[in-house]
Amino acid sequence: MRSFFRIIRFALQSMMRNFWLSFVTVSVFVLTLVTVNAVIVLNVLANASVKSVEGRVQVTVYFTSDASESTVKNVQSYLLGLSQVKDVSYVTADEALAQFKENHQNDPVILASLDEVDGNPLGQALKIRAYNAGDFPFVLQALETPEYKPFIKDKNYNNYESALRVLSDFSEKVRLGFLILALFFGFIATLIVFNTIRVAIYVHRDEIGIMKLVGANDWFVRGPFLFESICYAFIATVVMGVLLSAFLTFANPAIVAFFQGVDVDLVSYYLTNALPMFGAQFGILALLGLGTTTFAMRRYLRV
Amino acid sequence: MITFKNVTKEYPPKTHALAGVSFRIEAGEFVSITGQSGSGKSTVAKMIFAEEMPTSGHIHIGDWDISNIRHSDIPVLRRQIGVVFQDFKLLPKKTAFENVAFALEVAGESTKRIREVVPHVLKIVGLGEKGGRYPRQLSGGEQQRVSIARALVHRPKIIVADEPTGNLDAITAREIIELFTRINDFGTTVVLVTHDRDIVNGLHRRVITLRDGKVSSDAEKGKYLLS
Repeated sequence: MRSFFRIIRFALQSMMRNFWLSFVTVSVFVLTLVTVNAVIVLNVLANASVKSVEGRVQVTVYFTSDASESTVKNVQSYLLGLSQVKDVSYVTADEALAQFKENHQNDPVILASLDEVDGNPLGQALKIRAYNAGDFPFVLQALETPEYKPFIKDKNYNNYESALRVLSDFSEKVRLGFLILALFFGFIATLIVFNTIRVAIYVHRDEIGIMKLVGANDWFVRGPFLFESICYAFIATVVMGVLLSAFLTFANPAIVAFFQGVDVDLVSYYLTNALPMFGAQFGILALLGLGTTTFAMRRYLRV
Repeated sequence: MITFKNVTKEYPPKTHALAGVSFRIEAGEFVSITGQSGSGKSTVAKMIFAEEMPTSGHIHIGDWDISNIRHSDIPVLRRQIGVVFQDFKLLPKKTAFENVAFALEVAGESTKRIREVVPHVLKIVGLGEKGGRYPRQLSGGEQQRVSIARALVHRPKIIVADEPTGNLDAITAREIIELFTRINDFGTTVVLVTHDRDIVNGLHRRVITLRDGKVSSDAEKGKYLLS
């Protein structure tokens, strides 16, 4: 245990004596973590966006003006009986007209043409939401029965499918790009840790020689270098945590405002997953550092 | 205590540092190993603390067979041997106290014991008041005393000194040698590697002379025989 604490002391001394080398190593580790966390943030945002868009996909079925309310309510009950259907809301003719006017309030031509028509040209409607966007063709097909078909004037399918595909493709590409960037920084970090330990071995060559002469065992000589690499990983993870907290404190309100109506609370996401996420990041960095250090010691440290 | 049996050391391609060297040093002896540059005397010193391994032959240090020593046993062997070099090999960023303590730290000694033992050993070598100084703040002789204190602090059974006076003036060199004789008086075996004629002749102790990697003379109360 005594030797363990001395190994830690020697490692910390080495880090302080080679401050700038330690600084560069930690910086590259932090850059690697920044890219990894960028991937995580993008993932959260992309998933929330896709979910939100999926939630907005709906089909509106317009009925002819001679369709009675009870007929429309029957259709509503029929649709609600389908397992693919999540929700069906009934819209009266007046509500449909009000909604139409609101949607086109900035389009004077449409509003003027609406005034030309005598009375309410719109009938009752049903707004249908499915559990999955892919179920809509089935739901639409289900309305093609002789019992209901004569009363259906139109079916307006707000097809968000292409938008969803574009969004998914885009977020996938961005994620891939950031992952490649993370791997690149990981590679650079590996090289820098390797060089840091190589320089540390060079700087400490006299001390190592003397350690060996006075009877230090292998682990006493190698231990400080290994502990040093774990320290770099730990400091980088802590710095990343601080940077992320600062970023989220300032950016989260803007992000929430930007994704109006979408549940993208990054702060609570990170608070919920902080321990496993930063634990994993620290673990991976520490393993990367230990592996690189072991390799550098095998090459340059003859004990 | 120290036995060399027909020890040969070759460096590729065809350099023979030692060729069939045999001698035995008993516990408590003070032995000078002399010879000209390249005669193999430093190789003998390095073999005693397992820095070099023989190409053939056998070396025994106490119960240790150096020729077949396991890598993991070398640190344990070295904790029983104190080594002093011509260039002192002190750590410049550590004080005299810390340099001496370093040898005990790597051996896993407790901080309490280090605080007890180190000032005592520094006092023995005449640096009782200078433990807080850095090597650059000490003279050559004082630096060598720190190095001797570091070698002594384990209470080793053997001290190997490789040209310990090579960087010192004649008076300081004599003081250092006197320190070694005092250490020897306490029962520690001292192996002094040197090519200093005055020191060897002034000691009146056993002298092993090497020439071209071979023992050319081994005499009790010997003299420096080389021209």
